[in-house]
Amino acid sequence: MTAARHLRLSLAIVALFLAMGVGLEAMLGLRVRAWFDDPLRRELLRLGHAHGALLGLVNVALGWAMERLSTPPPWATRIRLAALLGAVAVGLGFVGGGLWHAPTDPGPLVLLVPAGALLMVSSLVAVVLLPPRDAEPGPKS
Amino acid sequence: MAIGPGQTSTTLTPGGTRRASLVLFGPAIAWTLLCAAGIGATMLDDDAWSAVDRSRSVAVGSARCQTCHPREHEAWFRSYHRTMTQAAGTQAAETQPIVLAPFAGEHLDALGFRAIMTGGPQRPHVRVERLQPEPGQDPLVLDADVELTVGSHRYQQYVARIDRGGGPGERWRLPVAWHVELSRWIHINGAFLTPEGAWGDEADYLRHLSRWNDNCIFCHNTEPVPGLDPQGQWNSEVAELGIGCEACHGPASAHVERHAWPLRRVLAGLAPHQDGSVAHPGRLSAGLSADVCGRCHGNRIAADLADVLAHGDGFLPGRPLSEVSRPILRDATLGDPPQRPFEARFWPDGTPRLSAYEYQALLSSPCHQDGAGLSCGDCHTMHGPEPSMQLWPEHDTSAVCGRCHEAATLSDAAAPGGHGRHGAIVGCEGCHLPRVTYGLLEGMMSHRPTRPRPQVLLDRDDQPDACTQCHVDRSRAWAAGALEAWRDGAPLPAPEPGEISRVALDLHGGDPIQRALAAAALTRSEAPADPRTRMAWLVDALEDDYPAVRWFGYRGLRRVARQSLPDDAPAASVLEALDVSNAMEDPGLRAMMVDQLRAILGPGPLAAQPELEQRLHERRDDRAIWIGE
Repeated sequence: MTAARHLRLSLAIVALFLAMGVGLEAMLGLRVRAWFDDPLRRELLRLGHAHGALLGLVNVALGWAMERLSTPPPWATRIRLAALLGAVAVGLGFVGGGLWHAPTDPGPLVLLVPAGALLMVSSLVAVVLLPPRDAEPGPKS
Repeated sequence: MAIGPGQTSTTLTPGGTRRASLVLFGPAIAWTLLCAAGIGATMLDDDAWSAVDRSRSVAVGSARCQTCHPREHEAWFRSYHRTMTQAAGTQAAETQPIVLAPFAGEHLDALGFRAIMTGGPQRPHVRVERLQPEPGQDPLVLDADVELTVGSHRYQQYVARIDRGGGPGERWRLPVAWHVELSRWIHINGAFLTPEGAWGDEADYLRHLSRWNDNCIFCHNTEPVPGLDPQGQWNSEVAELGIGCEACHGPASAHVERHAWPLRRVLAGLAPHQDGSVAHPGRLSAGLSADVCGRCHGNRIAADLADVLAHGDGFLPGRPLSEVSRPILRDATLGDPPQRPFEARFWPDGTPRLSAYEYQALLSSPCHQDGAGLSCGDCHTMHGPEPSMQLWPEHDTSAVCGRCHEAATLSDAAAPGGHGRHGAIVGCEGCHLPRVTYGLLEGMMSHRPTRPRPQVLLDRDDQPDACTQCHVDRSRAWAAGALEAWRDGAPLPAPEPGEISRVALDLHGGDPIQRALAAAALTRSEAPADPRTRMAWLVDALEDDYPAVRWFGYRGLRRVARQSLPDDAPAASVLEALDVSNAMEDPGLRAMMVDQLRAILGPGPLAAQPELEQRLHERRDDRAIWIGE
């Protein structure tokens, strides 16, 4: 995955989950009962909105950081994919777990959240620990 | 994480590619596989989904329910069910007071005895002494620390541990109670439908010193076990004081154990009705759901009383109540030869006259359809925002009735005011669930939907009708004529000259329940009669022989006077006249209070017809009606 595509998709995720926030505001204003009278669903949709938007921004920052830190391209491709998947899994895991939830607990889709979190953490740690491509043997510029 | 030097090149070796993918995606993939395995195992685990033997469950307490059901727990915590029984002196800072009475040295004189309440809310204590002991007679009658409080809505009763032959575990309800609305002490005889009793008679004074272990314990606690042993000693236990979650849902240890596994909880939404580890009254049939409420809101006769007194009633929510008891109905019999001791608790048509018979009222209604139609949960919710009456938010009786009785199909639906012609000011319940039930010093709504038919009661004095319970200044003949005129679309009839109000007749000539309900009817703010007239009539109730009827008169006067203020200056004088300490218990003080009220309000409804009043008093049915609480 190229840096440009990562940036576009990251911003798309931010846009998607911010737009969801507008939807939540509208449901609050219109007192939509399926949302307003269901505290568990309300909480999980809020968590999905906040996490999705924030992790989209984290992806933007990650792309910028990889450029600054000269993360080796083969790693960078996989890191971008993992981070994007992580952001989407966390956001949609909360949303799905809230939309189809059990009587007292989130629905099974919430199990995507830890998976997404692991993808995000792995990506960030890899960017932190990987030496820059300039560090490979050969003449330095 | 260790990244080898070989992995920093712009292309990765196949081994490096695998390692990078493993590092980045491995943990998430492992988690996903783990979840998939866990979900599969949980879904295939028969123990997680099959029906459980709930009879082996034990109670765990409402606090355990809060973790997973916080909203339901919060609603229950605000309810009067929770505070039905509480341990006195265990006040938690964040809750409402447990002991509602001051216990600051007040005293209440009644029937020649003085009850003195001391110790404050933390260590409440009641001492009862004779006011005029015989020479050599011990003046002390009772001296006890309050251990439990019972009730918190209308009045609060107090229970103390007193060994009267039943052992150290024996507890008794004390003879004084705190009336919440009036903020004053009442003698407990006043809440029951028995005559006053003789001055200085200890047995009369302590008539309702009821034993907690085999009375109050059942319907005011969760999973009660009276614990009567063969030696006659009481070793009573309850799973939880008050009506906790498990009173309606059943003992929950199996439910808690099953749902300790998170994946079972997460998957619960896939099969929401296949739990079976706990009862959910809202998902039971109308009949079984009503049985849950009927356990307490329907006086019963146990199938095996000795077993109940030893081990509890054995009822499991979700199972038919008829497995362990039968409801007390008008024609229920006891003993050999069979006797019918419960007739006085019902109107002649079988409608219950007392509260705690709501279950019977529902069962006898065609709307219940033998367990397939209307049930308690159609109007009431135990987890709503309003603790008083516990109706569904925005409850509308017409919407509940309208499910079967479409408004457009009702007689005269198109007439001005619609069906019943009362417009929006009178809902279905106003005419079809009249206030003909006595309970807890209140006139309460019937729970048996009926048709108002004053015409069939024209020559009878033994049952009130819905019309005159609201039109308190009208006769039954007027009500029957008005109903006929309504059907024919004609104007309502004018009152006949000399017409005598049905409520006035009941107030003077009825039995204790009729007299109390007549006073309650005069108190209703929606009654279309002049408040001054209603207050003048209510004064008659203050002279009744039954303390309960007098309380209806006293409280009714206070309520109507408050409703009339500030438009009516005499109302303030009425309130002032009523504010005499101990006047309800002391006949002399009460007579003075009545004289003062008469001077303010004028004569009662039958003052101009003393012969009729005399006849009514002679006809009056002065029986004691055993409430069964």
